[in-house]
Amino acid sequence: MMSAQKEPKHPFTPRLSRERIQETFVFGLLRGMTFFVLFCAAFLFWDILSKGAGKVFEGEGLINWEFLTEHPQTLHVIGEGEDEIKLSSSNYYRLKDEKMYEKWNTFQGTFDYNNKRNQLFEASKAIQNEWADQSLVLAEARFIEREQRKVSDKFSFWTELVTNLESTASDFEIKREEVLPMVSQFMLGHFEKERGRLQLLSDQVTLFRAQQYPKIENLTKENLKQIQLAYNQFLAQAPQTYNLAMREFGEEVTITFNDFYSKEGPKEFGRFAEALVAYSSVRQAFLEEDQNMSNWDDLQQCLSPFKEAMAVALPSRDFAYSGGGIFPAIVGTLLLVVGAMAISIVLGVFCAIFLAEYGKSGKFLSMVRLAILNLAGVPSIIFGLFGFGLFVIFLDWNVSLLAGWFTLAFMVLPIVITASEEALRSIPQGFRESSLALGATKWTMIKTSVLPFAMPGILTSSILGVARAAGETAPIMFTAAYAKRSELPWEGLEHWTDFFFQGVMALPYHIYVVSAKIPQNEYTADMQYGTAFIFLLLVVGIASLSIMLRNRLRKKYRW
Amino acid sequence: MQEAPTANPENSSLENTEEYREPAIRIKELDFLYGNNQVIHNVTLDIFPKEIMAFIGPSGCGKSTLLRCLNRMNDLVDGARIGKGSIEIHGVDLHDKSVDVIELRKKVGMVFQKSNPFPKSIYQNVAYGLQIQGVKSKRTIDEKVEESLRKAALWEEVKDRLNENAYGLSGGQQQRLCIARTLAVEPEIILMDEPCSALDPVATGRVEELILGLKDEYTIVVVTHNMQQAGRISDRTAFFYLGKLIECDQTKKIFLNPSKQQTEDYISGKFG
Repeated sequence: MMSAQKEPKHPFTPRLSRERIQETFVFGLLRGMTFFVLFCAAFLFWDILSKGAGKVFEGEGLINWEFLTEHPQTLHVIGEGEDEIKLSSSNYYRLKDEKMYEKWNTFQGTFDYNNKRNQLFEASKAIQNEWADQSLVLAEARFIEREQRKVSDKFSFWTELVTNLESTASDFEIKREEVLPMVSQFMLGHFEKERGRLQLLSDQVTLFRAQQYPKIENLTKENLKQIQLAYNQFLAQAPQTYNLAMREFGEEVTITFNDFYSKEGPKEFGRFAEALVAYSSVRQAFLEEDQNMSNWDDLQQCLSPFKEAMAVALPSRDFAYSGGGIFPAIVGTLLLVVGAMAISIVLGVFCAIFLAEYGKSGKFLSMVRLAILNLAGVPSIIFGLFGFGLFVIFLDWNVSLLAGWFTLAFMVLPIVITASEEALRSIPQGFRESSLALGATKWTMIKTSVLPFAMPGILTSSILGVARAAGETAPIMFTAAYAKRSELPWEGLEHWTDFFFQGVMALPYHIYVVSAKIPQNEYTADMQYGTAFIFLLLVVGIASLSIMLRNRLRKKYRW
Repeated sequence: MQEAPTANPENSSLENTEEYREPAIRIKELDFLYGNNQVIHNVTLDIFPKEIMAFIGPSGCGKSTLLRCLNRMNDLVDGARIGKGSIEIHGVDLHDKSVDVIELRKKVGMVFQKSNPFPKSIYQNVAYGLQIQGVKSKRTIDEKVEESLRKAALWEEVKDRLNENAYGLSGGQQQRLCIARTLAVEPEIILMDEPCSALDPVATGRVEELILGLKDEYTIVVVTHNMQQAGRISDRTAFFYLGKLIECDQTKKIFLNPSKQQTEDYISGKFG
């Protein structure tokens, strides 16, 4: 420092001036802010990519195909810590079924093991079908009994009501003859209706039974006793743990005997056997033949106590929508984007052509422009409500693809119109003039020597705009999006027009549902980030597609 | 268009201005306004068949506007209108309701200051006018394209690359392509709005040659800033100043012996 000071100063030595300090400060500020923005963007992408990649690339193969191709399901988590197993609903119930059949098989095995008991098993097997019928009769009886009880409950209610009314009438000195006819008229009508319903139901059950099952023979008390004995034997010999190989996961789960039967599971043979036989045979019967669904529902209801008894307890913690995949949401989003893009580009380009080529500058045009600019500033939730009011309610399209398309399209319309108008205006006036001078009409001129050259600009800006709008949740949450839908859009259509009048799942709404509606934890976060990851890829894909398209078209039309 | 029985009728007629000829374009006492701004004041001018008429004058004198009136290109401008007077081609008032502007523009072609071929192939550029008129036959179009390119003296240069983008051509070639494009729709009158202003002297020379070559078949009106150019190519010259027609006479006379002082000042470079 000392030596430097001693050296003679030349005229260009830096001096500490106010401007210099300002310059340094401003430069630092600008750089700092830019880096801050960069940091935020990097953090956002890193966050989504790193957490989402876990979901998308987990499992055996490189890509978790289940996540991309399955429907959303409830996630069941069995066990804790190291031993925890995550299962989506379908796999969870498959495991449950597997265990149930194992239970049945072990039951059989016990009989095979013991010759004496084997005899009993044969006996029980022989009556299996009759059991089914027996159970069914039981179920029917319970069902009818329940309905009857309902009616009698109502009857007592009405009786009470009439008594009350009578006493009230006497309190107020109203003549009994004036009140009673009205009440009894009403009651009679009601009872007729109830009776009719009950008759109908019992007729249905009887008819069903007559169609499906042979005549029921009485079970002897002896039979029951024999099976009771076998069951006790089975309980005594049952192993204390079960190893279930889960083929689809290549893992082995150890489940204790206590796990195997729920606390409320079959404690006594009667319920167990009843449930087992009834469930398996009824299930068999229904699987074999195409059933009348209303009867099936009734029967399901009657049989539910048996099914409960039969069920294997597999304690798990459940998280809605956190298992399975997001395939319907991907499909739905793509459909929404493509449809909204088509509608908005057609509407927007036509509008822009009118504004840029035909419209004469004046009050009307500037008002239209102002309206379009204002439209761009309307919050997306307002668009959602607008779409709900106009398309869903007024035009009665319900929650449907069509309503979602139009709502999204209207939302991006300002972007598309502005971009298209700019693209049209950027075409040299010379093209228009030379075309007209060659004897073209105005529309021919636009069609042949303006629109083709403006197309690259129009497409790029519009597609980018639509891709951005595809990420909006608010416009579709009232108009097109379902939180959960089990059919894919092309499934179960009665007529091709139904395609347009069905709701779909969508990625942004799915993220919203998963992250807003259930308590947050590691299991839901997985699904959230996985969905966000795929969504990000999708949007980036659409954007790069539009840029590729522009580059191709630009190469073709360059001036 | 009148058939010319003799090989070169205009020389004699130009010498003798007294002789009456049916003008191709007749402008009568024309006032023209953009909104409330009058840009052309009471212009009366006849343009005869198969002559080259040059409009000269300083910027903003209305010569381009007048030119664009001749095929109603000014219709494109908001608020542009005729104040009084008329323009007649073959005795038909252009602004009459019965005139179809599309048909008019087919007969009155126009070449612009900035060469502006469409960003398509050379072939498509020339074929454009035919295609928008609904000509489908490939052979007709092929023939017409070749004929037009030959007339525009461009055929030899581009015959091997008809399918290449027109923007691969040089500036002069582009301008000749634009002329070929205009010729393809078979106009009678060709309007040229400073066709050489963006070209270098060599390219300008070739375009001028071309214009002189076209004189036998077409009536040509050229707007130019370049007085030497007017002198080289035109038969007659009209000098405009501040929207008024100052003088219109044979080119030789305008340049050598103008009758008005303003014309002389302009031509000798005292102003403008």
